[in-house]
Amino acid sequence: MATSAPTATGRPLAALARLREPWTDRRAELVLGAVSCFVLALIVGMVVFVFSKAWPSFSHNGLGWFGDTGNVNQQMDRIQQPGTAEPVYDFGAFDLIWGTVLTTGVAVLFGAAFSTLAAIFMVEFAPESLRRILTPTVSLLAAVPSVIYGLIGILVLAPFVGDLISQDRKESVAGVISLTGENWLLATFILAVMIIPIMTAIIAQALRQVPRGWTEGAAALGVNRWRVMWTISVRTARPAIVAGAVLATGRALGEAIMLAMVSGGTAFAPNPVDGLTFFLEPTRPLAATIVFYREGLANPAMASTLYGIAAVLLVSAMALSIGAYVVKQPMKKYGIRT
Amino acid sequence: MESLMPPPVRRIAADRQATVAPAPSSNGGEPALDGAPARARGLSRPDRPRVPAIERMRAENLVLAYGGKPAVKGVSLPIRQGEVLALIGPSGCGKTTLLRSLNRLTELTPTATREGRILLDGQDVDQLEVTQLRRRISMVFQQPNPFPMSVFDNVAYALREQGKKRPGKKELAPQVEEALVRAGLFDEVRADLQHPALRLSGGQQQRLCIARALAARPEVLLLDEPCSALDPKSTEVIEELIVRLREEVAIVIVTHNLQQAYRVADNVAFMYLGDLVEYGPTDQIFHAPTQHRTREYVGGAFG
Repeated sequence: MATSAPTATGRPLAALARLREPWTDRRAELVLGAVSCFVLALIVGMVVFVFSKAWPSFSHNGLGWFGDTGNVNQQMDRIQQPGTAEPVYDFGAFDLIWGTVLTTGVAVLFGAAFSTLAAIFMVEFAPESLRRILTPTVSLLAAVPSVIYGLIGILVLAPFVGDLISQDRKESVAGVISLTGENWLLATFILAVMIIPIMTAIIAQALRQVPRGWTEGAAALGVNRWRVMWTISVRTARPAIVAGAVLATGRALGEAIMLAMVSGGTAFAPNPVDGLTFFLEPTRPLAATIVFYREGLANPAMASTLYGIAAVLLVSAMALSIGAYVVKQPMKKYGIRT
Repeated sequence: MESLMPPPVRRIAADRQATVAPAPSSNGGEPALDGAPARARGLSRPDRPRVPAIERMRAENLVLAYGGKPAVKGVSLPIRQGEVLALIGPSGCGKTTLLRSLNRLTELTPTATREGRILLDGQDVDQLEVTQLRRRISMVFQQPNPFPMSVFDNVAYALREQGKKRPGKKELAPQVEEALVRAGLFDEVRADLQHPALRLSGGQQQRLCIARALAARPEVLLLDEPCSALDPKSTEVIEELIVRLREEVAIVIVTHNLQQAYRVADNVAFMYLGDLVEYGPTDQIFHAPTQHRTREYVGGAFG
């Protein structure tokens, strides 16, 4: 084939043949640069697109978009079926935002504490045989698809929790919300279970990288392993704990399917004033709301509202990354790699 | 003068090659020693005041192994306060292992095993609680390992961790200052005790580590090649420090630098492949060794 090339279609094949030569640095630079720029353009394009689509909803509601301007469920129903020719944009996402903050925040706080302790055990205290099982298991758990957690939640845990709630308590809030096994606490619990493996893996990795000289030096000063772990290793691994928490928050923020399955399905802001009932109240975080109304996308008003939710999630995730970067800066003054 | 003071480790490794072959000129060690740099450095041995020696520790028939592979084979040694003990010998001959076993730091290595007894003031170290033991027997490592904290927090670390109640900064300040003074670092860091320790120079870091070890008032100080990563100037400061400290604490130093052993030690133990070949006063080991292997090793380094 190659031999006949010059006579038949000389120019294009010659160009192809040139591609097979070893690449010069210049060419590699150009190609890799183009690939990176493409990725960057894709991200920028996506942000611009989402915001432009969300604009009608934002501009109509103003800052009220983030506030509590009435029952969100009714608002969204009206957006879906306005009953008039005019599209309706009235929307106040407070309940959804509060649901997101509550589930994500509690799950990440609980997860960070739990993961740190679990990582300490894995790295420092677990016997060798257990460690050899634990380390890969934790990595494997980190890769379990969230829908499986959701399925177990809705089929096993939710009925179980639902049976625990007394009839009196259910009747006390009848007419406002219905207390079932699907509530924000269960959602948060499953969310925590979902993010703990990845956080544990990241923190354990960081703890293992703490220079031996430091831990040994502390041990040689007559400090026991538990204190060495806290005062030296965890201190040194703080950037990793922050990084793990950020990654987990990102995952929790964007988690839609599982939360849509077990968080209760109604937009409602669980109110701490309600006492013990508070923990059993349903909610519906932002990402789960998008999943919930996916059929309504043909309606431009609904599409704009959902794009608005997407824009908020996008900005939150970016703010998280930037926040983590800022938090990690002070670590540099002690020469800790970040 | 700089040429007389070679950087220790590599040079000696090269010298050791030469000692494998019989070293002809090593019999009369004195001529070489007379010109030894120790004299020129204000640390020459005869000037040193003798201090009363008290036996603090004793290793009895110590056998140490890693995963069944012996590293130290039946070593017995006394360690006295008032006299510096230097452990010398080629790389991989068990010096550091022996040193680390003295405060049971070898127990951090899962495969390490120990037989024989180590006594601290007549008491078996196995009967002491390990953290208590390490508070009494402190250690400084080959690589300076200051913690990623401020200078103050580094020195205060042991004090804070060892106290039952967390002492406040005011209470700690005099102790921290005293430790830094004893380690000869205070003048250099007094301006800013909150300076990150990892930003100090290597020599300062090592003296900070010594200050950290001294802050908790240990009874025995173990030094594992404390100067091998340092420049000659810092080395000199630390050597003077060792000589000065030997009155208050019992000191054991592992070193690859024979001149250093000659300068700081009162007693020298020469180890070879896990065996204690010869132990005796520094002058005897360097001027009149009784063992053939000692003579070869010591002669090679000075010749």
